[in-house]
Amino acid sequence: MRPEDERYFERIESRLDEAFDRAERAKAQGRDPEPEVEIPVAKDMADRVENILGIDGVAERVRELEGQMSREEAALELVTDFVEGTVGDYEGRAGKVEGAVRTAVALLTEGVVAAPIEGIDRVEILENDDGTEFVNVYYAGPIRSAGGTAQALSVLVADYARSLLDIDEYKARSAEIERYAEEVGLYDKETGLQYSPKDKETKFIAEHMPIMLDGEATGDEEVSGFRDLERVDTNSPRGGMCLVLAEGIALKAPKIQRYTRGLDEVDWPWLQDLIDGTIGKDDGGADADAKDGGGDEEADDSAESDGDGDETEEGSERDGDAPDSEDDRPAGPPRLDPSEKYLRDLIAGRPVFGHPSAAGGFRLRYGRARNHGFATAGVHPATMHLVDDFLATGTQIKTERPGKAAGVIPVDSIEGPTVRLANGDVRQIDDPAEALEIRNGVEKIIDLGEYLVNYGEFVENNHPLAPASYVYEWWVQEFEDAGAPVQALADDPGVDLEHPTPAEAVAWATDYDCPLHPDYTYLWHDVSVDDFAALADAVDAGRVVAAEADGGVVDRAPGDGSEADRAGAEGDRGRDADALVLPLSERVASALEHLLVEHTRREETIAVPEWRLLVRSLGFDVEGGTLDRDWTPEDLSARAHEWDDGESALEAVNEVAPFEVRERAPTRIGNRMGRPEKSESRDLSPAVHTLFPIGDAGGSQRDVGEAARFRDDQGRRGVVDVRVGDRLCPECDAHTFRTRCPECDAHTEPHYECEECGRVVEPDESGRVYCDGCEREVTSAEWFSVDVGEEYRDALEQVGERESAYDILKGVQGLTSADKTPEPMAKGVLRAKNGVTSFKDGTVRYDMTDLPVTAVRPSELDVTAEDFRELGYETDIDGEPLEFDDQLVELKVQDIVLSDGAAEHMLKTADFVDDLLENFYDLPPFYEVDEREDLVGELVFGMAPHTSAAVVGRVVGFTSAAVGYAHPYFHAAKRRNCFHPETKVWYRDEADEWHHEPIRDLVEPRLDDPDEDDFGTLVQELDGDVYVPSITEDGEEVLKPVEAVSKHIAPEHLVRVETRSGREITVTPDHRLCRWNRGIEKVEVTEMDAGDNLAVPGDPPIDDITATDALEQAHADGGRSSDTIVTIEYVESDIDHTYCLTVQDTHTLLTNRLYAGQCDGDEDCVMLLMDGLLNFSKSYLPDKRGGQMDAPLVMSSRIDPSEIDDEAHNMDIVRQYPLEFYEATREMADPGAVEDAIKLGEDTLGTDDEYRGFDHTHDTSDIALGPDLSAYKTLGSMMDKMDAQLELSRKLRAVNETDVAERVIEYHFLPDLIGNLRAFSRQETRCLDCGEKYRRMPLTGECRECGGRVNLTVHRGSVNKYIDTAIHVAEEFGCREYTKQRLEVLERSLESVFENDKNKQSGIADFM
Amino acid sequence: MPLETPVRIVRELAGRGYNAEQTAVTLIAGADDPARALERVVDAADDDALRITAEDVRAALVDGTAAAPSPDPEHPSTSGGIEDENRQTESDIDSENSPVEAEVSEEMESAARDGSAVGPTDDTGGSDATSAADTGASGATGAADTGNAPSAADAAGRTVDPSLRSLEVSGDITGQSTGTGEYGDFVKVFRDRYEKLSKQLRGRVNHRPAEAIQSMNGGSDAAMIGLVNDIRSTKSGHWLVELEDTTGTFPCLVMKDRDFAGLVDELLLDECIAVGGTLSDDAGIMFVDSLYFPDVPRTYSPNTADREVQAALISDVHVGSEEFEADAWGRFADWLHTEEAARVEYLLIAGDMVEGVGVYPGQDEELDIVDIYEQYEAFSEHLKDVPGDIEILMIPGNHDAVRLAEPQPGFDERLRDIMTAHDARITGNPSLVTVEGVKIQMYHGVSLDEVIAELPEEKASYDDPHKAMYQLLKKRHVAPQFGGKTRLAPEEKDYLVMEEVPDVFHTGHVHKLGWGKYHNVLAVNSGCWQAQTDFQKSVNIDPDVGYAPILDLDTLDMTVRKFS
Repeated sequence: MRPEDERYFERIESRLDEAFDRAERAKAQGRDPEPEVEIPVAKDMADRVENILGIDGVAERVRELEGQMSREEAALELVTDFVEGTVGDYEGRAGKVEGAVRTAVALLTEGVVAAPIEGIDRVEILENDDGTEFVNVYYAGPIRSAGGTAQALSVLVADYARSLLDIDEYKARSAEIERYAEEVGLYDKETGLQYSPKDKETKFIAEHMPIMLDGEATGDEEVSGFRDLERVDTNSPRGGMCLVLAEGIALKAPKIQRYTRGLDEVDWPWLQDLIDGTIGKDDGGADADAKDGGGDEEADDSAESDGDGDETEEGSERDGDAPDSEDDRPAGPPRLDPSEKYLRDLIAGRPVFGHPSAAGGFRLRYGRARNHGFATAGVHPATMHLVDDFLATGTQIKTERPGKAAGVIPVDSIEGPTVRLANGDVRQIDDPAEALEIRNGVEKIIDLGEYLVNYGEFVENNHPLAPASYVYEWWVQEFEDAGAPVQALADDPGVDLEHPTPAEAVAWATDYDCPLHPDYTYLWHDVSVDDFAALADAVDAGRVVAAEADGGVVDRAPGDGSEADRAGAEGDRGRDADALVLPLSERVASALEHLLVEHTRREETIAVPEWRLLVRSLGFDVEGGTLDRDWTPEDLSARAHEWDDGESALEAVNEVAPFEVRERAPTRIGNRMGRPEKSESRDLSPAVHTLFPIGDAGGSQRDVGEAARFRDDQGRRGVVDVRVGDRLCPECDAHTFRTRCPECDAHTEPHYECEECGRVVEPDESGRVYCDGCEREVTSAEWFSVDVGEEYRDALEQVGERESAYDILKGVQGLTSADKTPEPMAKGVLRAKNGVTSFKDGTVRYDMTDLPVTAVRPSELDVTAEDFRELGYETDIDGEPLEFDDQLVELKVQDIVLSDGAAEHMLKTADFVDDLLENFYDLPPFYEVDEREDLVGELVFGMAPHTSAAVVGRVVGFTSAAVGYAHPYFHAAKRRNCFHPETKVWYRDEADEWHHEPIRDLVEPRLDDPDEDDFGTLVQELDGDVYVPSITEDGEEVLKPVEAVSKHIAPEHLVRVETRSGREITVTPDHRLCRWNRGIEKVEVTEMDAGDNLAVPGDPPIDDITATDALEQAHADGGRSSDTIVTIEYVESDIDHTYCLTVQDTHTLLTNRLYAGQCDGDEDCVMLLMDGLLNFSKSYLPDKRGGQMDAPLVMSSRIDPSEIDDEAHNMDIVRQYPLEFYEATREMADPGAVEDAIKLGEDTLGTDDEYRGFDHTHDTSDIALGPDLSAYKTLGSMMDKMDAQLELSRKLRAVNETDVAERVIEYHFLPDLIGNLRAFSRQETRCLDCGEKYRRMPLTGECRECGGRVNLTVHRGSVNKYIDTAIHVAEEFGCREYTKQRLEVLERSLESVFENDKNKQSGIADFM
Repeated sequence: MPLETPVRIVRELAGRGYNAEQTAVTLIAGADDPARALERVVDAADDDALRITAEDVRAALVDGTAAAPSPDPEHPSTSGGIEDENRQTESDIDSENSPVEAEVSEEMESAARDGSAVGPTDDTGGSDATSAADTGASGATGAADTGNAPSAADAAGRTVDPSLRSLEVSGDITGQSTGTGEYGDFVKVFRDRYEKLSKQLRGRVNHRPAEAIQSMNGGSDAAMIGLVNDIRSTKSGHWLVELEDTTGTFPCLVMKDRDFAGLVDELLLDECIAVGGTLSDDAGIMFVDSLYFPDVPRTYSPNTADREVQAALISDVHVGSEEFEADAWGRFADWLHTEEAARVEYLLIAGDMVEGVGVYPGQDEELDIVDIYEQYEAFSEHLKDVPGDIEILMIPGNHDAVRLAEPQPGFDERLRDIMTAHDARITGNPSLVTVEGVKIQMYHGVSLDEVIAELPEEKASYDDPHKAMYQLLKKRHVAPQFGGKTRLAPEEKDYLVMEEVPDVFHTGHVHKLGWGKYHNVLAVNSGCWQAQTDFQKSVNIDPDVGYAPILDLDTLDMTVRKFS
């Protein structure tokens, strides 16, 4: 580690120590549950791995290997150790394999999940039919938590060990192969897979897998076909096996391939077929083998047989080889095949920005902007505005390549979009302000501009390099190679290398025999040879007109924005202010548009101001003001004509132009919107200021003031009976619930008395309190009559506040931690006063979407260079002393940027902490902030949701973007949790169908392309077409779209709640249910008690059409329906996974007939350091295990780059990609081929440079350009969003609006319609009065329980809501007959079900 | 093949003190003459043997007379399956024949067995050309006068006298759908179900309304007819069946050791049953002593036609699918023109004329004809290949372009206009069709999936679809269970109840061929005309493609012809 890094960390740590000291002093006063800070510092990963495995020597070996290689490589390296017996103490060969496999999984999961232990049951060596031996790995369900990559590598590791041990491969019997296919299918149906391999894929894998994948039965359902196989123990699906095969091997094939290549002993050639996706498309593996194996040869052969000039063969491989020499060039340019996977499940409201590889879509440019990291995509801010603000910083998009999804970041050093205005003018927009100005006049977005993706992203996804756009950074290297004095030119103030004048461009191209400068390289590959010829003809007929002579309207149109300025500037440098005027024809205009040549259109002519290089490229001579050409289309070679089937004029250009012209933008990347960005404070609902129980006395608001004045039945004022922890004073033996003895001020300790036998029990070493006599866990919770009034008055007095300092102080109804330790109420008073609320663990939190950034300007962070120098930044990225606010500075790894909202929230928190220190602990204040600048340099905890480890970060500045920018290394992994899989939820699916199904059935089928974190959590964003009934804080029932679904590794305990009317729900302990108390409160289930009223749906819960009924009934009822909790208990978790939804706005949904909160969002959160140290206590956490998620149980004070998620390691950190990289992209090489030429983060691991040198190739003027919020968030209803989506699709050249409409119908409306119709015809019914539910309509007609009115749960209105819209959209956008017919058939079905044959005249309107 | 024979065989063997392996039983059942085979097996069995094994049976059968062909080696155990046979004769006898029915069954039996006397027919030019290979046929136990009707028919070809024909339809929803999807409609339909079916049960028990039972004294006897509302097993393994009538519900406990406890396995939710028993001491529960289904009377005597006339029962044509077997259909249509088919005057199609659109996601990629109307046009063309004088009746299925919820109305005007060939009768699903006096209950069969899924394999499976149909006959309802796979459209009355006992029950949907008699009612599931789809392959279902069961309406004797 370099001294400056050491200094940096020491700086952080010294501030941390300072805070720790202060906190320890405060804690030592014994006012908190524990007399010390409860957040310890974490150990390293190697230890964790060894501990979880229990294999001695692993940690040491891991540490040894860590510095030298990646974790995956280390896992493979360890195989050798196991086989040789140097690590581990295994007897048999099976044991060695087992040890290696377990270690690999542990290593890859960083020793934080149970997968290596519980996910691999055993390894066996069995016999093939031919008598040879093979290895059988027996997986179990918990392997899921390992994640796909680790699962897949576990197989590879087993195979490696197998080959080292000289055991034969597994030869699957044909019945076994079929069984795999059926079983994976069944498992997918029953439990769901994030990737569902086609049967052919599964069989292909099973056939080639050198290891037998086996496992325990995990489901009840049985396969129907291939049963009772000799070598398969069960007829049920083997969940672990299915996961490994589908989500591991099938899904992660590219990743495995990276490692198989490095191993001589292991060769899985068949992976290539999986990667190519030819399995399941072609007829079988054999075909695919032949095709792919021979791919290269074929291309060569065909080229050879074609002969030299005679390239007549049509339809040659588009993805053929790149040209090496004249002779064996293919007949078309290199291209990757379009992939439309990202368009799958397109739903209403999230626009498509480009169809797969469609011209006019984003142009791939390689490079890493400073705010680029992993899974990010740079987009020009002008584009963000022009796509009607649907894109904002942090908005997630689903993309064609290289990954699946990316967060949008603004980069303005790339080319902006090109548009055609209503008056026919075509302009490239490179300025966001200009984009806003002309936005209303845009008729067509001809081109979306460039799309910046870093090389590391291709490495991370192991995606072949796509041909690169011809850009400055490539050209300049070629220019230099050609012998040009690049350095001299760069130093010449009269020359702008990046944007030369036409004359310079021509001169450079011809003098140095270098390809034409990209500025003047038009997109010839996007126009056909015929159009090219037509354009040349038009030029023949055109004339050059001086701008002035032309009336001054052409070139220098007023208000021309930057273009005019540039033209002006160039004019000064000697450019002639004239224009080429061509006769107007649509063909010519469209050719110019496709070339991205700016022009203006007048009644009969087209004027091209920047024409010189255009006509030269067209083979014209520009001597003496006349335009001449010496070629005719007939002169073009056959090759030029046939190039890319005549669709690309590139070869033609190269034949007639006096210089070489490169392909300007060969790779277009399609994408569509995913989920919008986020930045908001995390509040419990209702907000909680103090974790002090006040029972029902505080009313629905849990108002402590009200509770203090409340008079109970016995006439006691302010006294409530609540369960709180019984504590004992060690000094005077007094019993109290307080953490400090009211008698002698000593710190009290929990007193555990067994409820059964009254024996006093002491906690054992592990903290467990267990009564041996009664064989039960003991808690200290007891019933106390607490005088809330007195507590309240004391609290106010203690901190010297009056009740008027705030509006309301909210407590909790009851405590749900095991020992029910209440928080000192004074803390709540101060929170209320400062306007912050408490999370369940006593901390104050703020959530933000993560974005990476490696270099910043103090100015864009609203701070000064001086601030930065004080933070220890000394130089800018070039090593110059830091003097000015706009110098670019490399961000240190633990420095973070707060969004404006977060900063404001942190300020309040700092005030709260200071108040707390001064008035509660009688210590000096710690922060003393007045304005947000004072927060600079302060430390925070960063936490990913549902993890249990916090990372210390330092605030360095602020941004207006609604995201949290930080160093990529800072952003940690994520993990979430939630509902029991069987929890039934109401939802309306994409087809507008209502369902009432287990949440698993909602989530699983939609996990088609989820993001996965290291803990195995899968998150899939939805496009808002799935709706759930939800409830607002006012108790209003509304339908809200589901933003994302997720699947989580289940904690060890769940909480089961049962209500009086028999409702039952099982959730993770941190889950919130909606408590009804004249208002909706979202309360964590662990904080609820028997007797609490839960909000239940009033009347037809889900039907917005019958909402009027519902309203009436609600009025009739005189309020919300509610149901009372009878029992609430912890249950051992018997499941592997829990599920959750993210619901827009209200974050509540209807589950098992109860309203419940969703789990918390998936954004990382920050909390102020001192707040965490002072206020966090495990004693507040519900239950022992599940409740500890999301709690900072440990913290890392410094980041060890080797121990973070390795996607961050695949980030490239260079200033320029070398020429060979660009050339490799033309060959569509594997990213690994140029890995040596481009430095990645992983290359610096373990070196002195591991914390620095994160160079970038592109700058951006500000990291918060473009709209602050996505239009998706600002538009109102789903219909508004859909209208905007369709309107945008018409505007974009790269988008086929019919296809968009088709997909919206196919993936949104139709499933919704069909599903709801299905749901209608087999629905349950509910009593409007008591909420009792009936599987079938009672014969009595009325409620059997209460005699009340029973009604349907799925009504006509919710079934056919979308039919008219869908039919209308299908018509308007010219959808396929097939789609229209489906709608027609459906419409008739709806009529048939909902209309009386004998009373036909009644229209739908009669029923609405 | 006698479908309930295995049961009989087991009983028979048990009566003689033998236990038998499952395979052994099926082997015997599969023999040409199970009775004789059984005799031989018993004779051959070792005196000490307690258990008859498959081995024993094979040995005994091989040792037996050469006159008895050994069971088809490839399909030793398919009861009802006839994959390899070119034709086969229905010869099922109700296994539970009682002496009272002797007369009827005698007649039935002889009639049934006569079929085998008919000469060989090979319509396909397929693999096995001789009827000698007809191993499934039940052996020639003597010829009677009726069975060989087809071959004895006028050699002159089709002579049709339309005036002799009659075809009436009842229970057709088409044009009668009055439901508007209101809650009340649902209540009505279930009440109607209860009324219709409880009527069938009134004679068996002395029904007291649930409300009345609730106020009865503990220990008293009670009986109730109700829809099954809930079935739970208790901790001790007994069954708690909650019955509901129009006054409320009452829990009925079926003790696991009662001999009818097995019937609980057969129960589907929302079917109507009657129970009799004793109330518990606290009158909170009824201990069930007897349990009844609406059922078909054992002595049911089916109606027959007055003349020698036949009907072809087919279903699941799936025109438009890539898998549609046009050739098989062509052979079938050609055969109908032959002399042999001269008596076939009716063609009854039980749904799924076409493959449809949007039946499952991504279906368009597997369609031969993507346009739904063109599919029906193509179907209509195929229908034209059938002799013009054949009377055709069709009901829709789940692939057809009508509502999926049952009852499904017949095709609408637009589709009728397309399918003008033969002026076919188009009616709803289900419909009760009376053809020259023979009542044929037509139902597409979506509920079979559910029956097969819910009931134990031996009572209903895809291999023996007719067994699932027996269950429906027993329940006298084509789709009892609500809320599961079957979709219900609420109407004024429950069109899905089999109010009258049909003589023939004809379904399709599961693409498997199977038939048999249940209390003298012939249940036929008639295979399909669509080759195995990818989906079926994935779940290992091998459809029976290109079979046409031909029913003699005068004898209810059935012959299955194969055209694939």
